[in-house]
Amino acid sequence: MSNAEDNKPSHDQLSSQVFLDLVDSVIADVASECHRVARLGLDRDLEVVEEELRLSVEARAKVADPSNNLETNTKYVVDIFGQSHPPVATEVFNCMNCGRQIVAGRFAPHLERCMGKGRKARAKATRSTTASQNRNSRRNTSDNNQLASGPPGFEENVRRT
Amino acid sequence: MARSVKHSVNRPPTPDEDVRDSPERDELTLGEIINIKLVESGEKENLMELVRDRLVESGWKDEMRIACREHVKKKGRKDVTVDELIRVITPKGRASVPDAVKEELLDRIHNFIRSAAL
Repeated sequence: MSNAEDNKPSHDQLSSQVFLDLVDSVIADVASECHRVARLGLDRDLEVVEEELRLSVEARAKVADPSNNLETNTKYVVDIFGQSHPPVATEVFNCMNCGRQIVAGRFAPHLERCMGKGRKARAKATRSTTASQNRNSRRNTSDNNQLASGPPGFEENVRRT
Repeated sequence: MARSVKHSVNRPPTPDEDVRDSPERDELTLGEIINIKLVESGEKENLMELVRDRLVESGWKDEMRIACREHVKKKGRKDVTVDELIRVITPKGRASVPDAVKEELLDRIHNFIRSAAL
């Protein structure tokens, strides 16, 4: 065979070339397959790692920015145990003064009225409270106006004296 | 006496069958000729199947896929291209073919070349 080339490739070289060619084909197949899996997101393990990474970045951003929390979670802040606390305490118990069932969140205003602290808040009077205050004031002051004045003005009278 | 064949149709003579569509035989390298013979005889396909089977059995393919995944993890799966993956794993791939597999393949190819009488 007349060949223009100076160095005729040996059989070994030719075989090697063919072999490399075959291996390159298989490599291309593997690369193509992996590329497809990667782009389609078929590799669940990879996805999990990506998802965790994303969540941790988000969590870090949230921690660094406290104003975020106040705006979004005003009503139901979740503590580290996962419990949520409504802004107004909802537990109900009995008032030790008047014996009524009071919602804990409304206890302070109730107590104001119940113990006779606020002026205008004394619109409703129970017999027991007025009776005890009547007794108290009767002892302290002379009984001029107490019996005559009704409950509305009663407190003011007591205060004045 | 001149033989005159009466043609019903006037047409130029059919071109010689020796002239093929492919470039002149002399210009094809030996490697190319061998490749053509491999394909035409079906031996190329047999060899491909053999290579694939052997490389899968030996765990070579799994190693390559792990290498690909590592690269994808680094680059991010949306950015990666096939060419890039090929470029990344080819050196390692070529180097890590088990010797036994290589020997077997080279043997078969050798035999083919010899039997093709080139």
